[in-house]
Amino acid sequence: MLELNAATLAYGQATAVHGVSLHVRLGEIVTLIGANGAGKTTLLRAVSGLIAPKSGSITFEGRTLRGLSPDKIVRLGLAHCPEGRQVLASLSVQDNLELGAYIRSDTAGIRQDLDMVFDLFPRLRERAGQLAGTLSGGEQQMLAIGRALMCRPKLLLLDEPSLGLAPIITQGIFDIITNLNWQGVTILLVEQNAHMAMKIAHRAYVLEAGQIVAEGNAQELAGDERVRKAYLG
Amino acid sequence: MEDFIARYGFLFVTILQQALLGLSLYFPLMTGQLSLASIGFYALGGYVAAIMGTHPELAPLRETLGFFLYPLEWLVALAASTLLGVALGYPALRLRGIYLALATIAFVLTLGVVVLSLPIAGGAVGIFAIPQPFEDRLAYAWFFGPLLALTVFFLWRLERSGTGRLFFSIREDELAAAAMGVNVTARKVQAFVIGCALAGVVGAMSAPLLNTWNARQGTFDAAVACLAYVLIGGARSKWGALLGAALLVSLPELLRPLKDSRMILNGLVLVLACVYMPQGIAGLFARRRS
Amino acid sequence: MSLAWFLQNLLNGLSIGSVYAVFALGYTLVFSILGIINFAHGAVFTLGAYLTYVLAVGEFGLNGMLAGVTLPFKLPFALALLVGAALSGLAGVAVERMAFRPLRKRGADALLALVSSLGVALILVNFIQYLFGAEIYSFPPDILGDLPPAMLFQVGEEFVAVRTIQAVLFGVSLLMLLLLVWFIQFTKRGKALRAMAENPETASLLGINVDTFVLGTFFISGVLGGLSGTLIGVSFGLAGPYFGVSYGLKTLAVIVLGGLGSIPGAVLGGLVIGLAEAFLPPDLSSFKEAVAYALLFIVLLVRPQGLLGHNAEEKV
Repeated sequence: MLELNAATLAYGQATAVHGVSLHVRLGEIVTLIGANGAGKTTLLRAVSGLIAPKSGSITFEGRTLRGLSPDKIVRLGLAHCPEGRQVLASLSVQDNLELGAYIRSDTAGIRQDLDMVFDLFPRLRERAGQLAGTLSGGEQQMLAIGRALMCRPKLLLLDEPSLGLAPIITQGIFDIITNLNWQGVTILLVEQNAHMAMKIAHRAYVLEAGQIVAEGNAQELAGDERVRKAYLG
Repeated sequence: MEDFIARYGFLFVTILQQALLGLSLYFPLMTGQLSLASIGFYALGGYVAAIMGTHPELAPLRETLGFFLYPLEWLVALAASTLLGVALGYPALRLRGIYLALATIAFVLTLGVVVLSLPIAGGAVGIFAIPQPFEDRLAYAWFFGPLLALTVFFLWRLERSGTGRLFFSIREDELAAAAMGVNVTARKVQAFVIGCALAGVVGAMSAPLLNTWNARQGTFDAAVACLAYVLIGGARSKWGALLGAALLVSLPELLRPLKDSRMILNGLVLVLACVYMPQGIAGLFARRRS
Repeated sequence: MSLAWFLQNLLNGLSIGSVYAVFALGYTLVFSILGIINFAHGAVFTLGAYLTYVLAVGEFGLNGMLAGVTLPFKLPFALALLVGAALSGLAGVAVERMAFRPLRKRGADALLALVSSLGVALILVNFIQYLFGAEIYSFPPDILGDLPPAMLFQVGEEFVAVRTIQAVLFGVSLLMLLLLVWFIQFTKRGKALRAMAENPETASLLGINVDTFVLGTFFISGVLGGLSGTLIGVSFGLAGPYFGVSYGLKTLAVIVLGGLGSIPGAVLGGLVIGLAEAFLPPDLSSFKEAVAYALLFIVLLVRPQGLLGHNAEEKV
């Protein structure tokens, strides 16, 4: 579904990602793990169109994403839930969710999805009228995911959903991610918390200093000695 | 030949004068600050010279000093501009970027309105019949020329000195400079005050040249024009103001059809410079050399 | 210092203050999404006034390129106002493309954009002068139709006069403000605009096209500018192409006082300055201009974020 081929990404002169190739098949959860600064977020930002790759190709369902602005990429069915949640603090929870469905015009469907998100995250329903900036970290993460879901994405890019969250909450979020996948959403998950990420993923890639150093079935990789020592210790 | 000198003499002197004003803008720019305040000090300096030159109570002083009245005017203007510059600079330079630019614009505008209402400044009509040291306009080059040469020399030394390097380090990255122990505000004020002082002296020299002095001397338009010189000539080089002034002052004069379009030309310059040549013409040269 | 005196000045202040507010909002909208001051706003203000004049009166002045040209039609004032405002909106869009877009694409510093807009303002104002000439244009006194020039109310022993034009100023401005608030608070596009103002990157991830919204914002800003320019022009006459520049500079005080980027701040600032000007004692009236400028200066030094603004620190 999503394919990166020899993608090289740079910020100015500093190359962050060197010739990375990866792919995500329909219906999978693929996780990209690695230490801070390995280039994981950079990769996601390139996919969603926030950065332009220096070289290499990025295609989604056969269509190239290079040169497309982020708002066009969203309309192709790719939603990016960015690092640090990035909720719109000055708008209400409901407004945030409704803006998630910005590209859609089917009012009835949007209402339905809004209810679905509220069912998924009952705490958000309680706080629907509150300003998003007043929510706790976990609630903001739920809001960010819910918002990304509102556009009925085919592929969901999740950037470090567990960052800064207590373990119990993180578990809850990961359960929801697994659930979403069962319901048909393909997911590319970037995570520092390799342990939890590899438990729910089908396949995994390990990124180090901008290059893929290991890839394969998540369970197998989790058993790999090097990976265990470096990331699951 | 006499015609030529008469026509282009004034042009030449004007270029020198405007270049100096541009340079007065350059000093704060060395620390990365966009300040249009120096135009206000230009007006102030002019008023100092105008008042010293025409006020009836100062007649005895004028008689004793003769020609030395003029250097005294410059000194008084220098002192006044420096003092006021420091008084203005310390509070204002805590602001950055757009806020500072706005504050300096506000200063210039407020000053403009205030002088309109001060009787000593002659109200809307201003002060006229300011005594002139020379009959021939070109002779004023003896005032502006040395001042320009001095300023450029001063800048040349400054850019190579420790102080100059400090200025540039602030321009590059204010926070980093502060982290390295530079007293950023003091340095910014320093650069700011030098610019204001220079503008004040230029004003004092200009009042006799123009023979009358009124609120139209320190206007927003003038500030914008100076900005145009610096931008087109290069905000990163001391030669920028000179180049820019030479170009923008002479173009409307030399090309007849453009004569009335002076302001449009300035405006066009601002836009084009910002969009296509943020380093200005001088910056282009520097790039080619390296 | 009677009640009548107070009410009269209050009414005057509210009327002019509401127009300042509308004008200021044009600045504020642009600032909130791009973080820059659009100096060309004052020029669009001027343009709007001249355009509406020509549409409503049907002819150009005695100087300038188009001297003596008459239009084959004359629009009723309300229609001329709307058309003039719409054309001003288009002018605002043109300004964006000329002065701001190339810089935005380069990620250039906000100051550069400010200076660039200054340049555009100069070009525009001088172009207006070229076309319309530098003389004073006054709207004919019957421009609003057969309404009485003023309404008098008795308060105690004295009278308070409400000029019809003042009521129009206030009414139109209020309407404009309400429309804008409704748009921003309650419509999908308005919320998208707020999203963009807060976080353009996240907004684009939601499918909001930044370029389109920037254009739209400049259009609205232009409409606000042209509208307020016309209202002031009808009220006080068009004293030459530079008249918008001085109002533009004055309105900088409004937005800084209210807080850069704050919509309620712009309204509050407009009303405060309008009232300050109205209550200024008549013997100080030559200082009217200075009131705004001095206020701008003082606010910047004392409290740069103004009354309702957020932090004034530059985004590093």
